[in-house]
Amino acid sequence: MTLFEQSVAPETPAGDGMAAVASCAVKRAAVIARPCVHCGQSTDCLASDDAQQVFCCSGCRSAYELIHGWGLDEFYALREQLRPASASAVVSGPDRYSQFDEPEFLGKSAPRVLADGTCSVELAVQGLHCAACAWLIENVSSSIPGWLSVRVRMSDHTVRLVFDPERTKLSAIAELMGRMGYQLAPFDRSPDEHIAQESKRLLAQIAIAGFLAANSMWIAVALYAGEFSGVVFEYRYFLGLMGTALGTVAVVGPGRTFFVGALASMKTRTPHMDLPIAVGLLVGTVVGIINAIRGSGHIFFDSLAALVFLLLIGRWIQFRQQQRAARAVDLMLRITPRHATRIADDGRTELVLAENLQLGQRIRIAPGECVAADGIILNGETTIDRSLLTGESVPVQSHRGDCVAAGMINVSAPIDVEVRAVGRESRIGRVMQSVESATMDKTPIVQLADRIGGVFVVVVMSLAAVTFAMWLPTGIGEATTHATSLLIVACPCALALATPLAIAVGLGRAAKCQVLIRDGQSLQKLAKGGRIWLDKTGTLTEGRQRVSSLEGTTYGLELAAAIENKCVHPVASAIVREAELQKLPISKTATLDKALPGGVLGTVDGEGVAVGNLELMRSQSIDVATIWWERIDACVRRGEAPLLIAVDGVVCTLLGLSDPLRKNASETISKLSGEGWSVGVLSGDHPAIVARVCEQLGIRKEDCHGGLTPEEKLTIVQRSRRGGLTVVMVGDGANDAAALAAADVGIAVRGGAEVSLQAAPVFVSSGRLTTIHNLMVGARRTNRVIYAMFAVSLSYNLLAVVLAMAGWISPLAAALLMPISSVSVLAIVLGARTFEEAS
Amino acid sequence: MSVVYVALPVALLLGAAGMYACIRCIWDGQYEDLETPAVRILIDDQKSATQSNEWPSK
Repeated sequence: MTLFEQSVAPETPAGDGMAAVASCAVKRAAVIARPCVHCGQSTDCLASDDAQQVFCCSGCRSAYELIHGWGLDEFYALREQLRPASASAVVSGPDRYSQFDEPEFLGKSAPRVLADGTCSVELAVQGLHCAACAWLIENVSSSIPGWLSVRVRMSDHTVRLVFDPERTKLSAIAELMGRMGYQLAPFDRSPDEHIAQESKRLLAQIAIAGFLAANSMWIAVALYAGEFSGVVFEYRYFLGLMGTALGTVAVVGPGRTFFVGALASMKTRTPHMDLPIAVGLLVGTVVGIINAIRGSGHIFFDSLAALVFLLLIGRWIQFRQQQRAARAVDLMLRITPRHATRIADDGRTELVLAENLQLGQRIRIAPGECVAADGIILNGETTIDRSLLTGESVPVQSHRGDCVAAGMINVSAPIDVEVRAVGRESRIGRVMQSVESATMDKTPIVQLADRIGGVFVVVVMSLAAVTFAMWLPTGIGEATTHATSLLIVACPCALALATPLAIAVGLGRAAKCQVLIRDGQSLQKLAKGGRIWLDKTGTLTEGRQRVSSLEGTTYGLELAAAIENKCVHPVASAIVREAELQKLPISKTATLDKALPGGVLGTVDGEGVAVGNLELMRSQSIDVATIWWERIDACVRRGEAPLLIAVDGVVCTLLGLSDPLRKNASETISKLSGEGWSVGVLSGDHPAIVARVCEQLGIRKEDCHGGLTPEEKLTIVQRSRRGGLTVVMVGDGANDAAALAAADVGIAVRGGAEVSLQAAPVFVSSGRLTTIHNLMVGARRTNRVIYAMFAVSLSYNLLAVVLAMAGWISPLAAALLMPISSVSVLAIVLGARTFEEAS
Repeated sequence: MSVVYVALPVALLLGAAGMYACIRCIWDGQYEDLETPAVRILIDDQKSATQSNEWPSK
């Protein structure tokens, strides 16, 4: 187990932050938790401290001071007003921004020089959370002379900058943005012009169709009024011609897309909704034109224009959803750095693109940096945060000869690494490949509307034929009219609108409850019960170590805290936090002598102190008395990690460290089981700890799996899918990516939204477990609404078909039935309660 | 009633003008980002003499 490896940190910002926290803890002062002014993370401080001066780390303090110094305090007010947000910490050196001045680095998003000598550039921005971020960025531009303007687009996380190259450089702007916590990056691919064009084209068609539909409605109203009041033939003829002209334009213009779809469906011989629509439109137009010119008989122009308009809206909603689903950005590029520091043969270092690294080359990784390629450590001793790949919550001690993989974070000291695998060949690259193939593997869900539509097509077409045959004895004109009425009136307008609309509304309401859903199919899948796998660390638990039991003297804790205060490590911060909460005096004069795998050695006021696990005690030849053995066993049985403190070679204190369960965890689990989900746990953590957590939550033992690698998680998820059940995986957006993508529905609860949504179709940003239960309930309700709408629109169609076959359908009845069915569908969707509003 | 021969085409022309304006807006990209403008209106204007809100078109 690697739980207790610790390290001495150089003077990093995080180290300063810890010192700042420690300085709050003075003897006998009341320690309370307050939110950090900048990021809102709960921070221990004195009750007497000014609530406006509480910072969790120096990074937040400097961000606050920057914002405060520019007089932009309104950022915080605005943020509170709009949404609770969290700021992400960013570690970066100042010189990494100089590359923003090189066109090679920017690639496709190099600045364009405008006519007046200024430059315009479009860049991706990471770290946007809410409107306050957009506001801050847009208002900060005035602080650099020569930075003319900036425009943030929240929807696709991009910014457009205009600057004067004579007065400022792009690197200065990027650095300032970086200091505020927003990382600029060039696009890794050309922006998808094609999709934007298609979206605009569809919208323009809707505008045209809407105009034609609205105007032909007015003309139709005039005609119906005329029927009752006895209009002069001359005017009726004119109005009929004008209306028919509008209807024809609607069919030939925006309605063309249905003919294209119908032709395609005929070629592939699959019944498609477009087919009856196209036939209806075609027959209606031809009959309508003939009747309009003849000046007698039914003219269908208003129905035709309205049909085209409503169907196009349905199309557009569907297109928007598909587009969101198809936005497959390369996840790997977001996780691993794009650049690496290569060491040339003469010992000099240079910055190169990670993809240009060759096998056998050496790269240097500074502390705080992300490893760019798989390799073996040549020089240096450090701790590595491997959580991305393994989910281990504690950084691991690594030295010469150890392997590192791309995506891991070097925590404490610089290392030189010999490259062994790059890009797609690296471990994370292979995980991402399996993500991709898992995404491809999914059987495409046939939309319910399409399934019904297929049957519908055949039924309506044959009914039209039957009607025609039935009325043929009374004359071919009469028969054509009735058959055409049927085709138009039975058009599945409401049906086509129902599914996309209900899903779009569901997604919008879910987003208000801080659940982001990438595609609507997930909602349908979540509506039924099945198998749900949960990750442990950070999902069921808080993902933060805490001292949960203490045996022996608190004096040991006091000394341990004094030494651990010099460390950057999750265990160290847990000990210091506990000492502060117990209001113990923490000595400032402690020295940290050695950081070893498994613990640390130090001196406090002349006393030698060892803090660490059993192996460390053994290696320091510290004798652990039998009484401690029993206590250690009890600790492990409780699911805690034991940590011993020895003063001058005598063990005096035992700390039990654990990662506490999240609030509402067991409540959520029991609710989910009540909804028909069988709950299980997949974790990379030690099996004993996992079993203990499952016991607390009341999850069956055979459903708890501990000590898994990401690859094993993936296998388990794939295996459980074979049973035909809906499999849901809930986990971290980054290190569970493969399992999330392989599940029918992946729900990411941690990690950045952008990254998580690549692998998982659902991202819960509220940080509350109960939201997952709300999501399941909301999904079920949404599905129920869809079925209700099918029922409503189908019964309208049934009624219309019966009337049309009986020959009772008048143009008036047709004109009334069509919009009524659409309006009632709209009313059901908007009126139904689907998602609970977040409390 | 013969006014309908003039009024109807005029009404259609007026409507068409509105439709044309709408399509211009669509091609200008006004409907691409529906999130940011909605919150931007909440923000009070201040001293923004240095910042132009206009974007050079392509």
